[in-house]
Amino acid sequence: MKPKSDLPQGTLDLLILKVVALGPIHGYAIAQRLEQVSRGVVQVPQGSLYPALHRLENRGLLVADWKVTETGREAKFYRVTRKGQTQLETEAAGWQRLTQAVSLILKMSEGGAG
Amino acid sequence: MTWWHRLFHRRQHEEQLEKELRHHLDQHTSDLMVQGYSPEEARRQARLGLGGPEQVKEMCRDARGTRWLEEFLQDLRFGVRMLLKNPGFTLVVVATLALGIGANTAIFGLVDALLLRPLPAVKAPAELVLLMRGDGGGPTISYPDFTVLRERNEVLSDLALYTQAPISFGNNVRSEVVLGGVVSANYFDVLGITPTLGRTFLPEEDRTPGGHSVVVLSHSFWQSRFNSDRTLVGKTIVLNNRQFTIVGIAPPGFDGETPPMKVSMWVPVMMMSTMRWEPQSATHDPLSDRHNENFGAVGRLKQGVSVIEAQAALETINRQLEQTDPTPPERSLNPNNDRSLRLISPQGIMIGSIREMAVTSSRLAGATVLTVLLIACANVANLLMARAARRRKEVAVRLAMGATRWRLIRQLLTESVLLALAGATAGLFLAYWINQLLMAFKPPFPPPFTFTLDLSFDIRTFAFTFLLAVVTGVIFGLVPALQASRPDVLPALKDESNAESPRVRWLNLRNALVVTQVALSLALLISTGLFLRTLRYARQIDLGFKPDQVLAASFNLRLQGYDEAKGREFYGQILERLERLPGVQTVSMSNLLPLGFMWLSTPVVPENREVPPNERVFAGDVSVGSKYFETIGTPLLRGRDFTMQDTIKSSPVAIVSEKLAHSLWPEINDPGEALGKRLRVGRSNPISCEVIGVAKDARNNIFNRLDREPESTIYRPFMQNYSALASLIVRTDGDPRSLTSAVRREVAALDENLPPQNLQPLAETVSLASWSARTGAAVLGVFGLLGLVLAAIGIYGVMSYSVSRRTREIGLRMALGAETRDVIKLIVKQGLGLTLIGALIGLMLAIAVTRLLASLLYGVTATDPTTFAGVVLFVIGVAVLACYLPARRATKVDPMKALRCE
Repeated sequence: MKPKSDLPQGTLDLLILKVVALGPIHGYAIAQRLEQVSRGVVQVPQGSLYPALHRLENRGLLVADWKVTETGREAKFYRVTRKGQTQLETEAAGWQRLTQAVSLILKMSEGGAG
Repeated sequence: MTWWHRLFHRRQHEEQLEKELRHHLDQHTSDLMVQGYSPEEARRQARLGLGGPEQVKEMCRDARGTRWLEEFLQDLRFGVRMLLKNPGFTLVVVATLALGIGANTAIFGLVDALLLRPLPAVKAPAELVLLMRGDGGGPTISYPDFTVLRERNEVLSDLALYTQAPISFGNNVRSEVVLGGVVSANYFDVLGITPTLGRTFLPEEDRTPGGHSVVVLSHSFWQSRFNSDRTLVGKTIVLNNRQFTIVGIAPPGFDGETPPMKVSMWVPVMMMSTMRWEPQSATHDPLSDRHNENFGAVGRLKQGVSVIEAQAALETINRQLEQTDPTPPERSLNPNNDRSLRLISPQGIMIGSIREMAVTSSRLAGATVLTVLLIACANVANLLMARAARRRKEVAVRLAMGATRWRLIRQLLTESVLLALAGATAGLFLAYWINQLLMAFKPPFPPPFTFTLDLSFDIRTFAFTFLLAVVTGVIFGLVPALQASRPDVLPALKDESNAESPRVRWLNLRNALVVTQVALSLALLISTGLFLRTLRYARQIDLGFKPDQVLAASFNLRLQGYDEAKGREFYGQILERLERLPGVQTVSMSNLLPLGFMWLSTPVVPENREVPPNERVFAGDVSVGSKYFETIGTPLLRGRDFTMQDTIKSSPVAIVSEKLAHSLWPEINDPGEALGKRLRVGRSNPISCEVIGVAKDARNNIFNRLDREPESTIYRPFMQNYSALASLIVRTDGDPRSLTSAVRREVAALDENLPPQNLQPLAETVSLASWSARTGAAVLGVFGLLGLVLAAIGIYGVMSYSVSRRTREIGLRMALGAETRDVIKLIVKQGLGLTLIGALIGLMLAIAVTRLLASLLYGVTATDPTTFAGVVLFVIGVAVLACYLPARRATKVDPMKALRCE
């Protein structure tokens, strides 16, 4: 088994929004996609995926329709709303700034040590 | 998607959630199978990956944000189910609450109608203010002051004037006296009232005294007397023997500015001279005399002016007026001669003394029904606790399954509020019925004063009842819920039905509730008892006259335009006609009816003796016809009655009451010694009279109280002291009512446009005097008994519960040889102890409370020992009975069974 890191707090919503923004997608596929894209580094706790989806739907950032999948089964497909898109952009930008700042600090302390 | 949408599609949501998760699991399983897992293993792994599906679902539900509402609906459904499962319990609780809440709703409806509801048909009632003088009793200002206040003030957009007067209305079919409004021309404009038909008054109708004979009719008068004739405007009617043109019809609902007194029509104040009805103030012209304060005034505040600012501004003008021309104290209508102006908002009953009376009675009634509700709450709380004891196991199971205490309390409170709401619904029906009953107790004012109250429920009544139900539900539900939600889980689950500790705790609380109930109902019943004693005293009181079998009819000949000569002729003829009617014993007349609405008093001094003004004796000034004493039933102690020979041409004579004789001539021993003495009567031009008779004292003064000492009275012959306002009195053989139509017929034969006023048995006029005691006794009596019944049920419930808990102990005692008597004694003693504590608290409460009633009682003190002792014994008796029944049941316990049952 590969070592997997837990998700930092609050980032699950952002990741879900990002994945869903790529096109309508159902819950299981989101879990799969997150795991694939992060190359197995990010372990999505499936138990918290669905409550998160429902929470985002409740806040009006996602909407859902029932559609037939390629395997011929009905599944709940989520889409990002306009509000969700805006939210995604703001949070993504915020995240970018944060990670840059964090890595800057990390580099600086490395430099200090070296 | 809105929250209620989500809420009401809950089932659909649950299905979708289930489907979504199943899809996930299926997909995951098939993916795992592709990876080479066996179907069972794949499914197991998939489940592990997702976590427990039920937990995930629960988290999803939480995420949806409607959880509290869902739970509330759950509680509601569960509550309804629980209540339907115990229909007997539910019925008792709902009935108890219906009594308590219904009584409160009824009284609220009454208070709302009397004191709170804004005037109907009036525009922006919040801007209106009423002028009051001092502590606000009755009329306020004079016409000249009104004109000054209206012109000089800068705080009101306008000020209008009003007063009321009985108006004789003749329509050639049947004439009658109605209450009319006499108002300034801007009256309707200030109130913002638009007429249904025609117009209201024009500004120029405020100018020429006696020159504007126009009238606006009330909507209900137009409906009832003119059958809603739409062509009526422009036609004339006869008022006080003068033609008036109808110019408009007021909108429906508006019956004047002082409900519940109903005004039927309005005329401009310039017609005041036609509308005068008071016999005495002939010299004081209301339109020019600055001290004739017979008017009320209503103003509309300018935008942005507060009541306090307006009051200060008007008071400044008022003070200037008072300084330039001070009002002599004897002409001030205010008892304390307080000359300051006050502004109040017109709501419900506005006029000072009536309003105060209404406020006092409302407080009393409110306190009473609130007490009844508290007793009801205590009862229900008790029942709930008894039931909680039976539900201990259920609660324990739920706690053990992980329900939080808060969740349990919420569930139990939902149930109790549900009960309260059901009670409130039934209470509304009850309140409707109570109000019908209350209207039977309205003060018996003689016409034209019609007392109308609209007691129909409005949105405020419903809101009040709903709010009361919720608060009540929380009050009586909270303590039992707190108690029930913390049982010791283990013993409860082990079915240790008589685990000791919780039982003792509950019983103590239940005992406290019983004590409270006994105390409250005792206080209520003592108040009732005092009113009943007052009533009994009222019946025994020697009035000094005999109102039974006497019919009275009043006339105001002034309204009909009669001068003195014509008036004398009328009274002479009508007395003759009535005397000849079959069933009539004697007939006479008087200017004042005993215990009626009016009383005149005048200074009387012995002749040939100087009396300083502050020692002058005042006596009721009554003008009577011959045979008055025989007709009214007041014995003539000494001397002779007036006869037809005592006329305006013969020398003035008088009959004095015994009390007056003794206060004028303190030296006499026998009232007979007053005969032949002379006295002077009257204020400005005293008339010298010879005393020809002495009458027994009679309580014939003004109506409000029966217990006043009889006032000194001087009787003078009607022929020597004419009054346009007088009443005929007819003593009959039997029921005076049977002569009503005959009297009406005889009057119509003399003048078909002359309406007799308050043609009714004298006993009815007199009954107004005991109205407050009767009403108080009836209302408090009903609620007091209600309280006692509830308290008795409470005691019974607690004792039954206690007995059922002690079955084993009792069985043991009896097995060991205790007699039936001993067991009964044991149980009754326990109940009696509670009752005695409650009675003691109730006594102290009663002493504190009954002092507030003192002003409504007479013939009995507020701490009447007989009443107190009687009520205490009665309550204890009821309590003993309530204990005895469960006690007797206890003795029927079969010792063997009782011992085996554990």
